Amino acid sequence: MLEGLKINKGAEEAVRDLLRSLLESGRVSGVLALGRTGRGNGGVAYSLFTDPDAFGADGVALPLLPFMPANAGGLLSRLTLKGPLAEPVAVVVKPCELRAFIELVKRNQGSPDNLLLISSTCGGVYPLEVGANDALEERLPGYWEAVKQGELDSDIRPTCRACVHFVPDNADITVALLGEADLDTQCALYLNTEKGAAFIEGLEDLQGTPLLGELEAEPIQRSRDQRAAYREELFAGVEAGLEGLIRTFGRCIGCHACKTVCPICYCSLCYFDSQDCEYRPEVYETELERKGGLRLPPNTIFFQLGRLAHVSVSCVGCGMCTDVCPADIPLSTIFSKVGDSVQALFDYQPGRDVTEEVPLMTFEEEELVQVAT
Amino acid sequence: MNNKGAILPAEDGVESAVIGWLKEALSKKVFDALLIPVEVPAGDSFAYLLLRNPALLENASPLPPVMPVQGAKAISRLTMRGNGSKRVAAIVRPCEARAAIELTKLEQAHLDNLWLITVDCPGVLPLSDYLEDPVAGAARFAEASQRWDRAPMRPVCQICHHFSMPASDLHIGTLGSAEGTVFVIPGSPKGERVMENLGMPLDAALDDWAARVKEMEEVQRERRRQAHTDLKAGIAGPDGLLDVFSSCINCHNCQRVCPVCYCRQCYFESAALKLPPENYLARAGRKGALRFPPDTLLFHIGRASHMVLSCVSCGTCEDACPMSIPVAQVFSLLADRAQETFGYVAGRSLEDPLPLVAYEMDELHQVEQPYVETYHGLQIADCEQEVQDA
Repeated sequence: MLEGLKINKGAEEAVRDLLRSLLESGRVSGVLALGRTGRGNGGVAYSLFTDPDAFGADGVALPLLPFMPANAGGLLSRLTLKGPLAEPVAVVVKPCELRAFIELVKRNQGSPDNLLLISSTCGGVYPLEVGANDALEERLPGYWEAVKQGELDSDIRPTCRACVHFVPDNADITVALLGEADLDTQCALYLNTEKGAAFIEGLEDLQGTPLLGELEAEPIQRSRDQRAAYREELFAGVEAGLEGLIRTFGRCIGCHACKTVCPICYCSLCYFDSQDCEYRPEVYETELERKGGLRLPPNTIFFQLGRLAHVSVSCVGCGMCTDVCPADIPLSTIFSKVGDSVQALFDYQPGRDVTEEVPLMTFEEEELVQVAT
Repeated sequence: MNNKGAILPAEDGVESAVIGWLKEALSKKVFDALLIPVEVPAGDSFAYLLLRNPALLENASPLPPVMPVQGAKAISRLTMRGNGSKRVAAIVRPCEARAAIELTKLEQAHLDNLWLITVDCPGVLPLSDYLEDPVAGAARFAEASQRWDRAPMRPVCQICHHFSMPASDLHIGTLGSAEGTVFVIPGSPKGERVMENLGMPLDAALDDWAARVKEMEEVQRERRRQAHTDLKAGIAGPDGLLDVFSSCINCHNCQRVCPVCYCRQCYFESAALKLPPENYLARAGRKGALRFPPDTLLFHIGRASHMVLSCVSCGTCEDACPMSIPVAQVFSLLADRAQETFGYVAGRSLEDPLPLVAYEMDELHQVEQPYVETYHGLQIADCEQEVQDA
């Protein structure tokens, strides 16, 4: 099996060529990737492309753009929720999006069948507000310059700067980006699975030389150390205890946008939006009598704790929640911090392996004795 | 609206006068509880508190610099299952009172035991502007509202012409009042009863207040007209709409924070739109690409057609949009046009029936006319001729 391919083109062009020829050759029926929307006035969204021209030099697709308008893990779930794909579709997503999809597959919210999963060694993505201010384009040269040196632009999502899982776990094909000094002229594709190799082999427009060497080189390890250090720093800023919870979530407006964009929060109706939480006036009046005052709408912190309890074991730290929060609450930092503790408790890493069961779905006779006593 | 009101001394400013007055109403048991914005413990925002303990009023603010939650949502949560047994005074912005009235007509709130109390409104700051530095934000708001300068406020507050008394039960008039005083104006028999119980005779003429409100309203109407004309130029037609929503990420947060969008589950998030993969691929195949998740623009058009008749232009949607889309401005334009068509103003009165609920035999002929006249490409007269010939 071919283990990798070195292509004499810049990474952006090579990936576009790969996707175009996959579509043209009929090896895939569609490609899910980022692209410009509308008349190209700054909007970026994921699209399911079937027209190969989208990946031409003037095409609207932007497969490697460091931006995440939605966690594609959730989109892949939407695409395959009602059943597996009958025809192959290639997807180009970030590692955390891939991990989120794996978690969703474990929860029967999607199927990986017939998906060709393409990801990259990720240099992070810019916050949504950079896109909202039409400032994405101007950041790109600086971004890629940093990535070439194995460094991160300081303006990417804080959660990306603190991400230690930026090498994709389950990709069929990995595009090497971080620390690739000759990114503009050379592209290294690592073929991690037989499926990945089969799709590439003999593809006419994609000529290259067999790739020798390891993906896990010095720049990757250096970046992981730097990011781990920043992760500590970021986590240290989370206020602890009940007092900290109240201070942190006091300004929450209860919009539940964090839940809506979270790839792991897949419930079609959240308990906190359900009829169970639409109380009769007497309920509030009893509370009023007891405490002298209460907040409306109710359940502000309860919602956050409930969501933490539900998703922390599978939180992939993508940062969507922080980006959409109208009250600027550093949700991703809090959820990643709690996620780390919970995941360590079960020796579980979300998205690592599709065959690894979600901890709450497995029964172990001897576990959590420290909690039981 | 009453043409007489009472004068409330306000030497220490509007806020403390209103708080003092509310405290008195609580102690005299005119109200059992208040629903009012209170600063959160960290001091970086405000939240609605339902309170009966007057000590909790220490950090309350009848006119906070921001509207993190639309007050009608708080009122709806309290009364959606029916009228409570406690008499609650809700201190809200005029647009929040109007939304509460719409929600009552939509059977999502019950106001029999709730008094809507409003204050002449200078607008609110965009939440994100305020959160950058809450202390500076509060100062900026205080300074601007003093001068009735709406420049730092939400874009829809800058063009709001319903900033004064809606169909509230009691209104605090700060415009046109003598230095160090405000007007208390009852707007309903319910409100008049409160004034009576508080021993506040309605002996103050309101001409000065009404004149100032009218004057400001005219200025605001003109600003609104101008802003809508400019906006329309940019968003007209399918391409214009696509442009304005091109960066939408489909989070539906506009819908979630909208006081009028009360559906527990939006159609666009329902199982009805979760389709088999072949469906998405076929749709992509027809056009070369399908934006994913699909139906971005359709969501906004669907939402608009569902709620613009009750849209109060509060701007909460725009505050909550992570992509800074001018969604409240677009909806205010659509709302004005739609409401005008039916001679309806959202939140003006509990008595005005919702246009889509009221049946009128003779209405909207201007919409049906072109279709009937050119039915199957024939003029009506030709059809009649054909029928006769046959």
